[in-house]
Amino acid sequence: MVFSTPLFLFFFLPVTLAIYYLVPVRWRNAVLLLASLFFYFWGERLYTVIMLLSTAVDYTHGMLVERFKRAGKLKKARLAVASSMIFNLSILFFFKYWDLLAGTLQGLGLRFVPVLGVHLPIGISFYTFQTMSYTVDVYRGDAKLQRNPISFGTFVTLFPQLIAGPIIKYKELGSQLDERSCTVDRFAAGVERFTVGLAKKLLLANNFGALWDFFKAAPTLSVGGAWLGVLAFSLQIYFDFSGYSDMAIGLGRMLGFEFPENFRYPYIARSVTEFWRRWHISLSTWFREYLYIPLGGNRCSRAKWVRNLFLVWAATGFWHGASWNYLLWGLYYFVWLLLEKLVLGKLLDRLPGFLRHCYVALILLFGWAIFALEDFSRLRAYLGAMFGLGGTALWSGVTGYELLNYLPMLLVGLLGATPLAAECFRRLPAGWQRLLRPALLLAGLLLCTAYLVAGTYNPFLYFRF
Amino acid sequence: MKKQNLFISVLFCLFLAVMPLLTLLLPHKSFSEQENRNLAAPPRLSEQSLRSGRFMEDAEDWVSDHMVLRDQWVRLKALAERLSGKRENNDVYFCAGDTLIKRVDEPDEAQIKKNVEAVRVFAEKAGVPVRFALIPTAASVWADRLPANAPTADETAWISRLSAQTDCGGPDVAGALQAHRDEELYYRTDHHWTSLGARYAADAILADCGLPLLREEELRPRVVSESFYGTVYSRAGAWWVKPDRITTLVPEDGIRVISNFTGTETAGSLYVPSRLEEKNKYAFFLGGNQPVCVVQSPAAGPKLLLIRDSYSDSLVPLLSLRFSEIHLLDLRYYRLSPTEYIEAHGLDEALVLYSLPTFLEDRNLILLKR
Repeated sequence: MVFSTPLFLFFFLPVTLAIYYLVPVRWRNAVLLLASLFFYFWGERLYTVIMLLSTAVDYTHGMLVERFKRAGKLKKARLAVASSMIFNLSILFFFKYWDLLAGTLQGLGLRFVPVLGVHLPIGISFYTFQTMSYTVDVYRGDAKLQRNPISFGTFVTLFPQLIAGPIIKYKELGSQLDERSCTVDRFAAGVERFTVGLAKKLLLANNFGALWDFFKAAPTLSVGGAWLGVLAFSLQIYFDFSGYSDMAIGLGRMLGFEFPENFRYPYIARSVTEFWRRWHISLSTWFREYLYIPLGGNRCSRAKWVRNLFLVWAATGFWHGASWNYLLWGLYYFVWLLLEKLVLGKLLDRLPGFLRHCYVALILLFGWAIFALEDFSRLRAYLGAMFGLGGTALWSGVTGYELLNYLPMLLVGLLGATPLAAECFRRLPAGWQRLLRPALLLAGLLLCTAYLVAGTYNPFLYFRF
Repeated sequence: MKKQNLFISVLFCLFLAVMPLLTLLLPHKSFSEQENRNLAAPPRLSEQSLRSGRFMEDAEDWVSDHMVLRDQWVRLKALAERLSGKRENNDVYFCAGDTLIKRVDEPDEAQIKKNVEAVRVFAEKAGVPVRFALIPTAASVWADRLPANAPTADETAWISRLSAQTDCGGPDVAGALQAHRDEELYYRTDHHWTSLGARYAADAILADCGLPLLREEELRPRVVSESFYGTVYSRAGAWWVKPDRITTLVPEDGIRVISNFTGTETAGSLYVPSRLEEKNKYAFFLGGNQPVCVVQSPAAGPKLLLIRDSYSDSLVPLLSLRFSEIHLLDLRYYRLSPTEYIEAHGLDEALVLYSLPTFLEDRNLILLKR
């Protein structure tokens, strides 16, 4: 099930909320677990078993780690952590990357690895990372052991963040599983955040998605069209992804949880390094804490540090999808981040802000082109069109039509990607705010409902992650 | 702040409770007049449907289709799109002069090849002269009303290419409409042509068949409805547009229509006023979709077989002034051999007449080969 369907918003959510608040507090985790399993089963059916398996494996591995640690058998505890990681990475590899690998090998003439046509279970990239974090956190002593299987199951399957993040580390949620306060203030904050996310997805992201699809499918591109297309994709993926995170955080608050933030206006960054501190934060910190730092981080020789950076960005890229372009995309950022750390950083500091934004924007736009086009020959053609190679016209009538058609939305999107609107709202007199908050909320809900009911165009981008 | 948070929370919960309750409790329609289609049936629960995921899909369809105030939500979305500066909604362009025009998409080549082939085979085996013509849509004839540079398929190019490929010759309907493009040839809210558009097409057909053209004094315009909202209107949800007018040009005097809606012949008529009470008022012409329909008129002229789509419904009154009999076959519903039909009824000519989008996508033309 996805959030932006009438079925979720008007059936699953009200029923779940009603039961959640009607039962005694000690049953709430069980209600959440059952609701989340239903939520997952609805879309993935039998693949729910794999999620349960991953849950069971890490629940027991957590126990083992704790027992070995208590007994002072650190080596065995480390083995248990390794075993959990091997298990999770194996199912992730099999379901996500097997066919890519087999297909690539077959393309090279090695026919002994069969392409199996494996179905990618939704959210597997998210929940395997979450369960792994648990065992590691227990080993490191960052989190208390969870003895209650229901609470642990709730952590893994929690429907607000189950299929598209944010990736929550166990230590961030552990104590909330046992005790959390459901207050009206938090609920209202959740409602607000959820509605903002829903609006980002339905009113903005889908719109930009339609514009990008037009240029992606266009038989001929103009230079202007190619740039407009990739700009549309940049806005689509930001509002789509951050909208989903907002919905998750909002739903979490409605249920009494406080999830970590996942996006902090990434497009206002003044360097690529800063962009990655603001974009999909839960993923970057996951890789930082569970891969980069264990590898030695930057407290080692320069060669090792470069290797660590390389591994992290290759993994980050590849995590985004089972296709080689994602790997390329990750390495593209490896190169820019390395450059910024070694040479560009000091140069950037001396540049005026405007130029720094231009610099970041260019790098991001090319990055998104690599990200959005899985097929390398199409990627080459698209990048070629952006540069006007092969006799591409500078502009076309159709590009002009699409630009005018979407111009107001593009402006709203570009402004909406900055903190400006939120800042303006904060500066309004309190009386105005009191009036505007419920009015905007209601308007947002009604508009979103209209787009939900009328919309046939409602694809989610990150299901393959 | 505290109070307001309570207000917001209650507001949200009420909205979330009222919408599903009304959706479940209010009576459900099985057909949407607005969208002209059957709405999804309730999902059926079984082990099989759960396992295959069919149950989930059906449930989602049902919820979307039966959401309370569905038509109003669709309209709100259309309004929001328009206010956000969009010049289109759901593939329909908002055009000058309260006109709504559906975009024509570039077609699937494989289906076209089959359709062209079917027409060629039919032309060879029919045993009577076969003519072929395609009707362009408003997106082509009224291109100057579209927003500047709005993308749509090049219909003129497609029509001349397909006419050349079928190689049977026929009236230049597109040219006839083009020549009068400043007139009200199409409904502003529907994809069909008006009686006036059909009239110019009829002239082109008559000229091609060597029959005398229509004379102005033969036509007696009569307005039958001022409140027609067509399919393009429904698709766009553009409720701010004013309704269309339906006009007839030919009185029904002396004409006998044998309709065949459900497999048995019934007495029909060129115009069916009861259809004007419904949403889809275009069905006023001949009464709507039917596999076979025969129109007999007092005119002294040849007998015509018309392989057609719904555009012919409003064309037939005009053709009935020159042809003594017109037999209309709709291949979506008529599954037998058209060639045998020609022989059995002693017809003199055949005309394959489709609107371009229908011809590009239709999967039933293959029946022409029978």
